[in-house]
Amino acid sequence: MLNAIRPKNRVIFGYLFFPILLYIFSVFVPLAAAAYYSLFEWKGGPKKTFIGIDNYLTLIKDSIFWQSFGHNVFLVAACVVGQIGLAFVIVLVINSRLVKCKGLHQTLSFFPSTISAVYIGFIWMMVFDYKRGLINWFLTFIGKESAVKVWLNEPQTIMIVVAIPLIWQYIGYYMVIILSAISSVDKEIFEVSEIDGANAIQRAIHIVFPLIKRTLLVCVTLCVAGNMKVFDHIYAMTLGGPGNESNVMALYSYQMSFQRSNMGYGSTISIGIFITSLLLIGGVQLLVKAYTKESEDY
Amino acid sequence: MNDKLSHSGRAVGQTVKTGVLAAFLNTVLIIFSFSCIFPLIWMFYSSLKSVTEFNKDIIGFPTQISVQNYINLLTNSDYRILPSIINSVRTTVISVIFVVVLGFIVGYILSRIPFRGNRLLYVLFLMGMLIPIHSLLVPIYVIFKRVGISDHWYTLILPYVAFGLSLAIFLVDGFLKSIPTALEEAAAIDGSSFTRTLFQIIFPICKPILTTVGIITTFQCWNEFSFALVLLKNPKLQTVSLALTQFSGQFSTDYPRIMAGMLLTMLPILIFYFVFSKQIIKGMVAGAVKG
Repeated sequence: MLNAIRPKNRVIFGYLFFPILLYIFSVFVPLAAAAYYSLFEWKGGPKKTFIGIDNYLTLIKDSIFWQSFGHNVFLVAACVVGQIGLAFVIVLVINSRLVKCKGLHQTLSFFPSTISAVYIGFIWMMVFDYKRGLINWFLTFIGKESAVKVWLNEPQTIMIVVAIPLIWQYIGYYMVIILSAISSVDKEIFEVSEIDGANAIQRAIHIVFPLIKRTLLVCVTLCVAGNMKVFDHIYAMTLGGPGNESNVMALYSYQMSFQRSNMGYGSTISIGIFITSLLLIGGVQLLVKAYTKESEDY
Repeated sequence: MNDKLSHSGRAVGQTVKTGVLAAFLNTVLIIFSFSCIFPLIWMFYSSLKSVTEFNKDIIGFPTQISVQNYINLLTNSDYRILPSIINSVRTTVISVIFVVVLGFIVGYILSRIPFRGNRLLYVLFLMGMLIPIHSLLVPIYVIFKRVGISDHWYTLILPYVAFGLSLAIFLVDGFLKSIPTALEEAAAIDGSSFTRTLFQIIFPICKPILTTVGIITTFQCWNEFSFALVLLKNPKLQTVSLALTQFSGQFSTDYPRIMAGMLLTMLPILIFYFVFSKQIIKGMVAGAVKG
């Protein structure tokens, strides 16, 4: 029926030409270029030497790359538990009839997620600072001087230290997503269960959780995709240090390409990021699908 | 068990219990919300201290309020506070306009007009949401340098618009599915051209979803850091996050001054957030759940 008013092909083409050109130029051309450069030994100068898949063989054995990948996976796990878990608990609290000023709480807790990740990194760098940081001030204040540390320089705990700002920043974000899912559920379900004598924890596990499972799975996907591309926080806080104890894939590729100007191998790492991220996100999606199917069966 | 007991002895016991619970829940939430906003408050009153006063006592309120940090930052052009804000505002505004307009046009055409390759294009644009953008960092740098478009005022706009388009097209396409085609048909019968129908009839209808697109893109562009870091070398073109990293390297021990700089460069987006927080929260959540 729309065919009668369908514009001429020329018009459609005219409208689509510029956006498609821009999009291909900024997304697909670079992707192809990365694949191409990854086959060369290239230090950024005019000289490029074709070395086939040598860079990829190096990448497979590159312990720093796999260590960085491990850190990305650690951050994914920490944030799924920390962000979505805590957000769920806080949503249960905020949803209670007894709580006042819900709108204000939402506005305030959502706020950190709108701030640039670099700023978050700098703010927390100050919080963790040895001499002037809030953490060490607090430890001294409660009389635990022995626990005072140079937080950003402790190899054993550094990943936990850099995970905290990440978790903190997005709790409010997931909280609001989960809240909007709950508010779309019929209020009567909650009231009836309350009258039936289910207590708050029973209600959370047996009623709220199953009803918003779908939204929670969306959150998990967002969380995985978000933490595979962490860069700014780490750049601002530790630059991957001490050593490579807090390095992540994107930062490693940046260091390799721009600080050691090894463009060829840097491109190989880029392709490595592309493949590992897609595999992980795809894997999580499959798990999620299998899980939702299974639980719908009963 | 508790619930059963309170059924019989309602009145007093129940009120006390509810009161305690209410106090507890409210306290938990207030502590949580406060922790989200506290760094901002701490930065604000600390930026009014001198560095010596701050180093003596990092948590106390300033005994003597001094705006010296702000005056220094704004009067010394080496710090590039104002130029970086102007750069960020310009990049963000232009990118958002392009993402909204192009996202709307492409989303509409792909959603409504059948032609050969339509689905292929749609999939191509959606793939942009899957591609981890950091894997494009190195090649985009190389290509932009080769073509000679790195280090210009418009450099960042190109990737920002391209990366923003995917979600925009996806959201517009989804939104149009719920809008009947009757309006366009009526307009066509009345002799309205395609272009006129597109901008005068469909565009206003899509306002809610385009607002969402605009909000999400605004924050994405304003907060973007890695591409700015790689593509811009000229200090005059620095965006706020770039200016901040340089600036805090320079004064690594002068926290009050760094805090003043952070607050100044955050100001535009802070005002934007607290004025429109309701729409922003709604828009970002809608975009996240559908995307």
